[in-house]
Amino acid sequence: MTRARRRLTIAFALAIAAAPAAVVRVQAEIDHAHELGKQIKCSCGGCEQSAGTCYHVGGAFSGPCDLAKTMIKEIQGHLDERMTDKQVIAAMIKEYGPAAYMEPPKEGFGLVAWLMPGLYLVAGAALVIFVISKWRKRGAAAETAVGSSKTVSPEMLERARLLAQKATEE
Amino acid sequence: MDVFGSFALLLAFVCALYALAGGIAAILTRRPLLIKSTRQAGIAACCLIFMATLSVVYLFVTDNFSMAYVVSHSNRDLATFFKVVALWSGQEGSLLFWCFLLSIYIFSVLITYRNKHGELMPYVGTILAGVQLFFLTISNFVASPFKTLAAAGPSGGLEYFARADGNGLTAVLQYPEMVIHPPNLYSGYTGFTIPFAFALAALLARYPGEKWIHLTRKWTMIAWCFQTVGILLGAHWAYAVLGWGGYWGWDPVENASLLPWLTGTAFLHSVMMQEKRGMMKVWNVWLVFITFFLCILGTLLTRSGVVSSVHAFAQSNIGNWFVGFLLIVIVVCLAAYFKNRDYLKSENQLDSIVSRESSFLFNNLVLLVACIAVLSGTLFPVFSEWFTGSKISVGAPFFNKVNIPLGLLLLFLTGVGPLLAWRKTSAESLRRNFLWPCIVGLAGGIGAFLLGVRDFYALTCFLLCTFVAATIGIEYYRGAKVIRIRSGMNWLSSAVELTLRNTRRYGGYIVHFGMVMIFIGLAGQAFTKEVQKEIPVGGTVAIGPYELLLQAMDQKQEKNYIAQRMIVEVMKDHKPVMILFPERRNFPAGQESGTMVAIYSTLREDLYVVYAGVNQGSDAPTVHVFLNPLVKWVWFGGVVVVMGTIVALLPSRQAALALAGGKVPERATGFASAVPSSVALREGHD
Repeated sequence: MTRARRRLTIAFALAIAAAPAAVVRVQAEIDHAHELGKQIKCSCGGCEQSAGTCYHVGGAFSGPCDLAKTMIKEIQGHLDERMTDKQVIAAMIKEYGPAAYMEPPKEGFGLVAWLMPGLYLVAGAALVIFVISKWRKRGAAAETAVGSSKTVSPEMLERARLLAQKATEE
Repeated sequence: MDVFGSFALLLAFVCALYALAGGIAAILTRRPLLIKSTRQAGIAACCLIFMATLSVVYLFVTDNFSMAYVVSHSNRDLATFFKVVALWSGQEGSLLFWCFLLSIYIFSVLITYRNKHGELMPYVGTILAGVQLFFLTISNFVASPFKTLAAAGPSGGLEYFARADGNGLTAVLQYPEMVIHPPNLYSGYTGFTIPFAFALAALLARYPGEKWIHLTRKWTMIAWCFQTVGILLGAHWAYAVLGWGGYWGWDPVENASLLPWLTGTAFLHSVMMQEKRGMMKVWNVWLVFITFFLCILGTLLTRSGVVSSVHAFAQSNIGNWFVGFLLIVIVVCLAAYFKNRDYLKSENQLDSIVSRESSFLFNNLVLLVACIAVLSGTLFPVFSEWFTGSKISVGAPFFNKVNIPLGLLLLFLTGVGPLLAWRKTSAESLRRNFLWPCIVGLAGGIGAFLLGVRDFYALTCFLLCTFVAATIGIEYYRGAKVIRIRSGMNWLSSAVELTLRNTRRYGGYIVHFGMVMIFIGLAGQAFTKEVQKEIPVGGTVAIGPYELLLQAMDQKQEKNYIAQRMIVEVMKDHKPVMILFPERRNFPAGQESGTMVAIYSTLREDLYVVYAGVNQGSDAPTVHVFLNPLVKWVWFGGVVVVMGTIVALLPSRQAALALAGGKVPERATGFASAVPSSVALREGHD
């Protein structure tokens, strides 16, 4: 490796590595009720936001979405009753129904949502590997066939030229 | 003007109907005159749609409050600028606008290829006419923007009347980005119709060779570019207006726009395998079909009320029309495929699993899995209601958990793909190509760790971003070095020359670099900080290195709204840096309110300040402040992606010389002779 190449590589690495320098490690300063509110969907119906983040435009002029504020107050009430985070979430789901989940529960039918992406990936990977091995076998068989024949037809030669040209052109 | 517009739209319907029916007859009879007349009918339909669209804009600008659509989406005090934009603010107008954008594409295709591809174009024209006819049917008979206000008069007969003023434009739409976000997104959606038409036409016509794929690729890139810009503008709009501190909430409508983008991206990669090696023909045709299906499905989701969304138009029965159309399209595609599937037989085999072809296969796999995961997550509430009777909602946390690993896998493949050779990569080549990118990537990861990044995904993301950027940098370095040795140009000029010589390959690298920047920005989300606090005038709130001082509250009266705003002085390390004015706006016409976020944006972080309202008990204003690291990288990355796409669309300099009859430089001998033995020549990403 030449000196210039090394310098360039190092400079490039440093430039890219500098990006995370911008990141500041922080502690959440928002109250716990709002933090928990992020795990419950706002019931206003006008957005897909959580109760902790719903600023649904069209809500009351004097503040964020009224329903979100009510839900946060309820969460605070549960916290005041010394409920654990899990108990608070369960109580909110009990009150607002499964439509209040921000993510499906990892049980019952909700589990299907979690399993599906993994299944797609595994099934897709299996399919790709199957296709690759099939293509490779076909390629090997074709090579054997070409190797066993004594002459190469002009059509085959032309086709090979075309393929080689395609494969090497910039 | 309403009669003129309505008549023009109806006439456009008739022309499109003729273009479809005549097109089918022309394909069957092959009569040149019929082919020509159907093409002209297609062109006429486009011109008529243009006139109808202009007439709706005219009705808005002239405050014609006898029109129901104008009343619903405009008012006298609305700025003229927004009156024009109001065209696409509602169901009816946006569908007409969709027709309009589609007609621009169709017009361009019919004119550009009027004397070319004689075997293919009648099929293309007919398919395009079919799609256009569907949207014209909707705009004419289901959701017409030309409905006038009428009520039963004293005599019992229908009497037309005009309102004194309109209801106004929805508050959240009165923002400059809303002017350019929908046109870009719609241009993406409608643009995917062109590759669809070419793919289906080639399959139906059994069009020989790969010509159609070259044509399709270009149009796909244009549509993909618009879709990318549309998605990013939408994200920026959500960030700057909605006031929840983020830019991507996995809303069903956001997801709908992402789906065709994912499959379109997969197609732009897998198409190279067909061009280079004659492989993946079936896959490519179906990718184009699926991308088009997803565009229609996205429209269905947005407009039918199947899923709840902040973006969705009013619930209507329009969804049934889209379901019907989607089913017809699927049946036609399946029929065409089963009839002519032998036409799509692959010409080549795969030589090795360690090859460019394999990396594209896995790239396609990840993109498709991400697409299906987003789609099934979006529709999961509907499925859960069907199967269990209760709607289980799926929000951002689910989508993040599922898609972050997939995104990182894709980022990894973005780096790996260009380092692998077509057909087969030797062990020596692997070592040579991967050594430095891996070292640089690792250095990036270690650097991030030392700087305090502990979040696993963020750390992996920074490592992979460094790795991918290194692969791109090394590719550029190698190519530019050869040119520099040959021509004596400086590094920058050599890099530019290199890009211009193979725009497709190096445009692709620029796009990849833009994606790296976007990923860096996304990784920053792991470190968001927020504070919500009641703050009296003169009070302060601190976040990170910033201190915010509420100097005063004031009110400003604009023509169309009243704004209550905070005047916030931002200090960093006790030095004033900026005054911000977060607002809450009240629009009397529509009895709506909206936020206007104030953002102090740097490459390092965004200080995002929301006037969250007034505590009704204490009467104190509440401020919600976010410190969002690296957000600007997302927007800059988007700009780089667009620039790369434009570069990739340009003809390569060598090709331009050949077209101009100039002498094409000899490649193999001249190029190779100038290359030092230490530099390996290898196929790149093109």
